[in-house]
Amino acid sequence: MSLLNVEDLQAGYGKVQVLFNGHIKVEPGELVGIVGPNGAGKSTFLGAIAGAVKASHGTIEFGGESIRSKNPEDIVRLGLALVPEGRAIFTDLTVNENLRLGLTGRREKSGAQKAIEEVIDLFPVLITHRNHQAGLLSGGQQQQLAIARALVSEPKLLMLDEPSLGLSPTVIQDVFGVLNRIQDQGTAIIVVEQRAHLVMSIAARTLVIREGHVRATLLREDAQDEARLAAAYFGTGEDLE
Amino acid sequence: MIQTILDALSYGGLYGLAALGIGLVFGVMRLVNFAHGELIAIGAYLLIVTIDLGLPISISIAVTGTAILALLMEFSVFKRLRLAEPSVLLIASFGVSVFLQRLYEVIFGALPLSGQIAPWMTGVIEFGDTTITRGSLVTIGLALVLLGGMWFFIEKTTLGLQIRAASSDFQTARLLGVRSNRVIGAAFVFSGVLAAAVAFVLVTQRGSVDPLFGVNITILALVGTVIGGLGSLQGAALGGFAVGTTISLLNSFLGNYRIYTYTWLFILVIIVLLVRPGGLISNKAVKERV
Repeated sequence: MSLLNVEDLQAGYGKVQVLFNGHIKVEPGELVGIVGPNGAGKSTFLGAIAGAVKASHGTIEFGGESIRSKNPEDIVRLGLALVPEGRAIFTDLTVNENLRLGLTGRREKSGAQKAIEEVIDLFPVLITHRNHQAGLLSGGQQQQLAIARALVSEPKLLMLDEPSLGLSPTVIQDVFGVLNRIQDQGTAIIVVEQRAHLVMSIAARTLVIREGHVRATLLREDAQDEARLAAAYFGTGEDLE
Repeated sequence: MIQTILDALSYGGLYGLAALGIGLVFGVMRLVNFAHGELIAIGAYLLIVTIDLGLPISISIAVTGTAILALLMEFSVFKRLRLAEPSVLLIASFGVSVFLQRLYEVIFGALPLSGQIAPWMTGVIEFGDTTITRGSLVTIGLALVLLGGMWFFIEKTTLGLQIRAASSDFQTARLLGVRSNRVIGAAFVFSGVLAAAVAFVLVTQRGSVDPLFGVNITILALVGTVIGGLGSLQGAALGGFAVGTTISLLNSFLGNYRIYTYTWLFILVIIVLLVRPGGLISNKAVKERV
């Protein structure tokens, strides 16, 4: 049984439908990428899975349980955490307070402090800033805090929406390096990115979303095939599903 | 002079409590709740109609009743409008406000309802040549205790942290597991408790309550939440305190010209907003960084 199984998902905002056919399967411990141009519906896809965007049609099963009609606060307690686009950290709270908020979604209430310490080990740059206002961190540090905050809930599946947005190349390498370590610890990950090569370098398979439809599934080796990549990304040629 | 300062502090504390009550609900719902005035009014009505049971029981009934009415507002009206535009919420709060004013007329009558809540508060205490009113001291003490208690709750407890997070970014707070109904319900309950405290001070000063009892202080407290910085709980309390203190000082210094108090108050408010459009507490240290 897949950890996450989404089929024929449709979602949007009011009368504007953005996602027309979202589907994805994620196995425990797997790292899956999602790429696509601006406005393709990637963030809406993740938002609908996490309960932040209302899905109008389709099925979302997590751990064998339907979560389509659940609230975001219930979904995170099942072990599905989303790091939204733009980090969405609480800039007026301290780093420590941001991490404490991440504990809210834990299924197991014991061991909370230990969970924070373990996550801090993963992001040592946060140690010296624990009592500082989160808004004073650099962009890369804020991104690491956003991931750390999601991890303290000990999710089975971590979803990241454009974690490289606004970061310098060296900081991006740091952030993506940590994703491999998180996966090694058994957490499944979905990474949404516009930069196809970046996500394909760490994901075993990558879905391409265009105009609200999942159009193709690419494997890691497809990153070398520029023609195939461009065809999938920009929609030149046939869909590759 | 000492009495002037104490009056200013007590007014500031009173308006700070009212503004914090409004700011709490605004923070988690982006709702400017004009019906907060009717929470203050029901607190005052409950105090007057139950005072024969003794002050402690009367205060307990007023606090409980006001908090329950605040929760009823949330469950019966605002909860159904969670996804509505702020303008819709604003109009809905006007509707609740007018509905409750008419309901109070039907239940308690349109004329003022009189009663003595705590006559000992109207006396004076003499220190040598200086006399100060007990009411000022009690109001300052009450404001200090309640604002201090609210500060502790907001800054030091998990629910307080969740309310701060929800005030900053409600959707992200929910994604982290913060239960929306719980924080919004808590904000309304505390808003009701603060309204009851304001009602106690006001009805002790005035000795009567009518259906429009809470309207004036609510409008001025709203001004306080705006100049304090909408969305900031500390800003709301500070803004309310600033408005109350300014009104009291203007009343003292303008003497026979005190009819111009509100003219000068709003001139000052406009100046503050021109200089700091984000309110007194806008965190300049926090900027978008890459």
